[in-house]
Amino acid sequence: MPNGASSSAAAIWAILRKECRSEWRTRYGLSAALLFAVTTLTAVSFAAGRMPDRTDVLAALLWIVLLFAALAALAHSFVREVEAHTLTLLRLLASPSSIALGKLIFNLLFLGVLELVTVPLFLVLMGAPPPNWGPFLLLLALGSAALAAAATLVAALIAQTRGRGALFAALALPLLLPVLAATVSGTRAQWSGGSVAPAAKLLISYTLAVMAVSLLLYDHLWEE
Amino acid sequence: MTLRVWLFVWVAAGIAAGFLWAPVVPVLEDTTRVFYFHFPAAIITPVALAWSMLHSALYLWRRDLANDDHAAAAAELGLLFCVAATVSGSIWAHSMWGSYWNWDPRETSIFFVLLLYGAYLALRASIEDPARRARLSAVYSCVAFVPGLFLIFVVPRIYFSLHPDPLLNSRGKADMDGRIMACAVALVLGFGALFFWMLSLRVRLGRVERARESVAS
Repeated sequence: MPNGASSSAAAIWAILRKECRSEWRTRYGLSAALLFAVTTLTAVSFAAGRMPDRTDVLAALLWIVLLFAALAALAHSFVREVEAHTLTLLRLLASPSSIALGKLIFNLLFLGVLELVTVPLFLVLMGAPPPNWGPFLLLLALGSAALAAAATLVAALIAQTRGRGALFAALALPLLLPVLAATVSGTRAQWSGGSVAPAAKLLISYTLAVMAVSLLLYDHLWEE
Repeated sequence: MTLRVWLFVWVAAGIAAGFLWAPVVPVLEDTTRVFYFHFPAAIITPVALAWSMLHSALYLWRRDLANDDHAAAAAELGLLFCVAATVSGSIWAHSMWGSYWNWDPRETSIFFVLLLYGAYLALRASIEDPARRARLSAVYSCVAFVPGLFLIFVVPRIYFSLHPDPLLNSRGKADMDGRIMACAVALVLGFGALFFWMLSLRVRLGRVERARESVAS
């Protein structure tokens, strides 16, 4: 098994390329996730209507849509390996932490594509006032990183259980509550002209803590 | 056997003293009494969670299924105490704050603990192989430690809370009637003993079940 820093970087890069390629071959995961995100968005927008002057509600709705899109999409990466019986082969070829990091980066890209479609649509459909772009994009990036870090680990966990998809949301939600609290309060702050620094600091420290703990634990995830 | 009887007498006496002997706090009036159930249960809840997480970490380190028994039993009992603390707190909040649920920081953190126990037990229920169940639920338990720290220790201290500080106020000293304090401390000890007694029963039961399965197979 490769051990040096350069070879594990190469392993992570190879996992990422493999993920992108197998996703691109079927595009099943991406199209399902995009459709789900747009469905959630439609339901929210249709039920709530346009609300240009209620930025506090808009911030909450935006992150609820993104949270549900992430919950529907991110379980996919590990469940696919188990369903195709390729996890054992993958384990023989790379260390658990490089598999996890490769999949984490892939999930992050995946969330990025989802947000590229969902967020502009949300702003248009809800009649939102133009956000303060710098802080807004920073919050989106940090929030996605935190979502991906927690969701990737839970996805790896539930891939080996019976319930799989049904369990994913239940297990991920407690880990994502601090993320939801921080991103919503930060998004509210940037719309009302406040500072996003507290929310950004909370998100960065939370993401780093989750990643540090999960890198320690990935070795225990696959043993048989 | 006798310890069990003494524990029953101790807790019953503590509750009776809370109703008959201890005075009520002026503003809270008779809602003071909920304190004797709510406070000990709310103290035992994080103790149970910490016990469960400690044994999860020990399991990952030593791979002894006895640790897994402890982690599972503490989570089940912790859920019980957590529900007791949440329900009693919610009833109290209705009479004092005017609503059963208002996402006060304390309510947020106890609700998070409730979700966490639920998710942990759902994860356990969905895996059949004992070693794999122990391993995966231990991993989840260790990860949940991170948001647990954030929500239990960071959030209630940053955001403003209406929750009364029961034992120490912001000036760092107790300003509570000695009799109320005595009942509360007695019941914390009683609930703590109750928790560890039920935990030992559950752990022994787990060991017996495992032994039976290994004989049967």
